Amino acid sequence: MAYERSVLSSLKASQFRCFDSLRLTLEPGVTLFVGDNAQGKTTILEAACVLLRLQSPRASQLGETIRIGHDACAIGGSLAESELLLQYSEKAGRKLRLDGETQRRSADYLRASELVVWMANDDLALVRGGGEGRRRYLDFMAAQLYPAYRPALQAYDRALRSRNFLLKRDASPRWAEIDAYTRLLAQHGEVLTRHRREVIDRLAPYAAEAQRQISDRDEDLRIAYEPGTTSGDAADDLATELIARRDEEFRKRQTIAGPHRDDLSLAVNNLPAAKFASEGQQRTVALALKLAQSRLFLEMRRRPPLLLVDDVFGELDPGRRNALMAAWPADSQKLITTTHLHWLDDRFASAAVITVTGGQVAPANR
Amino acid sequence: MPVDYPFPVKALIQQLKRLPGIGPKSAERIAIWLMQRGCEATAPFAEALNAAGTEVSECDVCGFFATEAEGCAVCDGPGRDHAVLCVVEQPTDILPLERSGAYRGHYHSLRGKISPLENVGPEDLRIAELIGRIRDGHFAEVILAFSADVEGEATANYLVEILSAFDGVRVTRLAHGLPVGGGLENADELTLYRALEGRVGLR
Repeated sequence: MAYERSVLSSLKASQFRCFDSLRLTLEPGVTLFVGDNAQGKTTILEAACVLLRLQSPRASQLGETIRIGHDACAIGGSLAESELLLQYSEKAGRKLRLDGETQRRSADYLRASELVVWMANDDLALVRGGGEGRRRYLDFMAAQLYPAYRPALQAYDRALRSRNFLLKRDASPRWAEIDAYTRLLAQHGEVLTRHRREVIDRLAPYAAEAQRQISDRDEDLRIAYEPGTTSGDAADDLATELIARRDEEFRKRQTIAGPHRDDLSLAVNNLPAAKFASEGQQRTVALALKLAQSRLFLEMRRRPPLLLVDDVFGELDPGRRNALMAAWPADSQKLITTTHLHWLDDRFASAAVITVTGGQVAPANR
Repeated sequence: MPVDYPFPVKALIQQLKRLPGIGPKSAERIAIWLMQRGCEATAPFAEALNAAGTEVSECDVCGFFATEAEGCAVCDGPGRDHAVLCVVEQPTDILPLERSGAYRGHYHSLRGKISPLENVGPEDLRIAELIGRIRDGHFAEVILAFSADVEGEATANYLVEILSAFDGVRVTRLAHGLPVGGGLENADELTLYRALEGRVGLR
């Protein structure tokens, strides 16, 4: 069955990282970006990601993406029938336009946008690295599925920063003030916890299936939600727990429980993947998580997401490469970066190839 | 030395630049506009400025704008309900509430909201004055009318706790809801979410 989707048919950027001016036409199927390292390939995918989702997998602040020596950047593109434009300057902040009309609320802009899955070689850190990367993975996914998630996350982060600041500031913490934020954490944290739990529950069977497909073996991947509270999840519980563990917070001078300490546990054949899985198995887990995300988007929104695949292909052995191509959503538009094309075969006959050298792009001869 | 504006013009530009939302270009434009119209424009302007600076002060009780001659239009005004007190962040928040016509009680402006990241704590706000008013007054209800952001909500939480010491006083806050006249399709998801959470029974 064919799904409804929006194709990103063009992408433009100016003063964005290494690009003075970038103008690209993109294929509805696959567009390949070829070039050595540090030439700007990843930046192209980042621009697409920022344009569609208003966040970058590489930068926490949009200001970091402005080309050195400039004070503003812009990214634009045609998505289906709509023209998207994002402008960012240190002075005026972020401005969004949809078909030339200024959008005051990001939710209105995002409603016209498309779902995105980001796959990268360093996804291995999802398995080997700390919980922060896994929380970012969950946040990126949940924010695309639940409109209430992003505002809750922003409010939670701000309340958490205020609370931690108050815990550190005074020799004798002022609990009345701190508790004003405790209730806010509980209230917004409840939204995060509920949606994270639902996402992980729905994701689990797809992740397990993808692990079997890619490994072509009976590898059993189990993922589970590990709440950052001892008691579980309900809103009252977090407030109660924080108040009960006041002595500990006084010693550590930080908020010791809540969704900012959530994690996603990953086990292969019943053993924690970070410690006991082989490197090959870990790479498979990282891929499986991203494939599961695509499948979940298909299931929940009935739309194939735009796949941004950064430097993954050249690094995979032929077995995993084939399995990935068999398992990813066939209807998805794909932007793929790679340092070489030796793996390219007939399956990419209709793909466009673009070379990227020193912040310049050009169509390639194949 | 290249020629520049004479001193009085430069001094005026300097003062204008200090105003919120006015940059060097706008300051220059406003100054020139005034100069070209001469005394006819500057005299009433100066008079109004002076009067605003010398005659208007903050009402000791509610924090709204008051004058020597007329006192505070809210506290000294006729027909006020002395049983309700509405707490707001800024004195300017009082005007929209007044215009709504739905409220005839008293007000209390805090002159800000708690915001540790911007170094504003409860002691920087008019909270002691608020407590004094509730202790000495006969308020049956205190309405918290703060903005729906993290700082506004934290300030409300803080006050709820402190005001729980006053037994006979009911503490409420404004509802989050749909804008009047707007269809559901125009409301953002968070507003809808909160409107659903705060839904009202009809029977």
